[in-house]
Amino acid sequence: MVMADSRVVEIKNLTKSFEHLTVLEDISLHVQRAENLIVFGRSGEGKSVLLKCIIGLMAPDAGKIFINGNDIGKLSIKELNLVRKNIGFLFQGAALYDSMTVRENLAFPLKRHFPEMNEKQIDDKVKYTLELVSLEEAIDKMPSELSGGMKKRIGLARSIITDPELMLYDEPTTGLDPITTKEISELILNLQKKLNMTSIVVTHDLICAEIIADRAIFLKGAKIAFEGEIKQLTVSNDPFLRNFFSHELIKV
Amino acid sequence: MKIPRLKLGRRLTSGDYIYNFFATITGLTIFNIQFFKQAFVPPYEIGEIKKHMDELGVKTFGIVSVTGFIIGLVLAMQSQPVLARFGASDFLPGMVALSVVRELGPVITALIFAGRVSSGIGAELGSMRVTEQIDAMEVSAVNPFKYLVVTRVIATTMILPVLSVYVIIIAILGGYLAVIITESMNFTYYVDAVLRSIEFGDFIPGVAKTFVFGYLVGIVGSYKGFTAEGGTEGVGRASTTSVVLSSLLILIFDMILVKLSLWLWPTLE
Repeated sequence: MVMADSRVVEIKNLTKSFEHLTVLEDISLHVQRAENLIVFGRSGEGKSVLLKCIIGLMAPDAGKIFINGNDIGKLSIKELNLVRKNIGFLFQGAALYDSMTVRENLAFPLKRHFPEMNEKQIDDKVKYTLELVSLEEAIDKMPSELSGGMKKRIGLARSIITDPELMLYDEPTTGLDPITTKEISELILNLQKKLNMTSIVVTHDLICAEIIADRAIFLKGAKIAFEGEIKQLTVSNDPFLRNFFSHELIKV
Repeated sequence: MKIPRLKLGRRLTSGDYIYNFFATITGLTIFNIQFFKQAFVPPYEIGEIKKHMDELGVKTFGIVSVTGFIIGLVLAMQSQPVLARFGASDFLPGMVALSVVRELGPVITALIFAGRVSSGIGAELGSMRVTEQIDAMEVSAVNPFKYLVVTRVIATTMILPVLSVYVIIIAILGGYLAVIITESMNFTYYVDAVLRSIEFGDFIPGVAKTFVFGYLVGIVGSYKGFTAEGGTEGVGRASTTSVVLSSLLILIFDMILVKLSLWLWPTLE
């Protein structure tokens, strides 16, 4: 089944539970090409699970997920990997490979997704991507030598190195100071514009969301409780939303 | 096939322990099936296997050298007075060699290897699991089971027999030291006595079982690490339970394999 071309991600009636806990129930949403969607929600509300279902790391209990019209639940692992070639995933803790240098970390997805590339091409691409995140000097460092913000940048570099058309960010700014948060968020926005990417960003950071978002949804009680623009959410009269955003508004 | 999750927590009932026992057996069985399904299908990740063999050899070389030497030395020191009492001192080199070749060399090396390597694999894969590095690998079109588990299990299976042969030689040399402390014996005579007492048939079952032990160390460490959950506590648990379980399985399989080898080579009795 092929979706309208402008819809990069289409989720239909997605349900996912763990033992007796339902974290996502009958979720339906879509993301247009070059759109930035922010997914808000409290901790444990299934935001990361949603991202992992989209990229096929977790199988939904019910519902369908289409990426560029491909029903990912019906794909073989080879076909799924072809779809994944066009998706970047920034993990919450950056998930850099501890035993590899920054160079090897960045080269890893390239070597796997593009076996036809030679060493020189890989090396050039690694250096170019590090320039994009302004960390050229870290190329031969081990992840343990990097600060939290640097790890996020390298993680970001690793996820965009394959030039994905869809980026999934799992809390890209959690645990960072407000200035680094702003820098990373602006970096994400710049990259998105430069590479014309579609993004889904899971966060509870309003600074990050305000910089990046075109549209936002709010997950609550395993369902999409609210959907709209960030401004609508932050000025909402709903007591829960007011409570959620009050602390963040003070910071902004 | 889904690997069953173990029940965790500080207050487990005896029912939970029984459940965990069977869940572990099921999980390990699934892991074994997966290993044989994936080990013979390309890509073979030869580079990774070599890297792991290299690391494992370097990591354990020192400790098995010391252990092997002491085992041989102590074995000879303990046996010497007993044999002397029966006027059988001449049998000492042969006795040391036979004990070390058939049983002590392979088993002690395997246990040391389990302590050093199985815990390492458990902790490494465990921390990769809890920090989402395994997920990141999957997203990069890499089969993490193949890249992380199969390569390590092949490496442990190949390297342990090499280490065991080395330990056997070192232990026999350790035995010689014990002999020359108390009586004068020519090194050539000692080596000759050793070689006369062991046959090639003694070597086969002794070394053959180390392939099984190496496989057990790799598969148990990988299983515990790969299925770790619950943050740093989970990593610690993966590391310690890997050692306990692999050591236990080495001893159980040793018992089975000794019986099997006696049945296959009746001349050993």
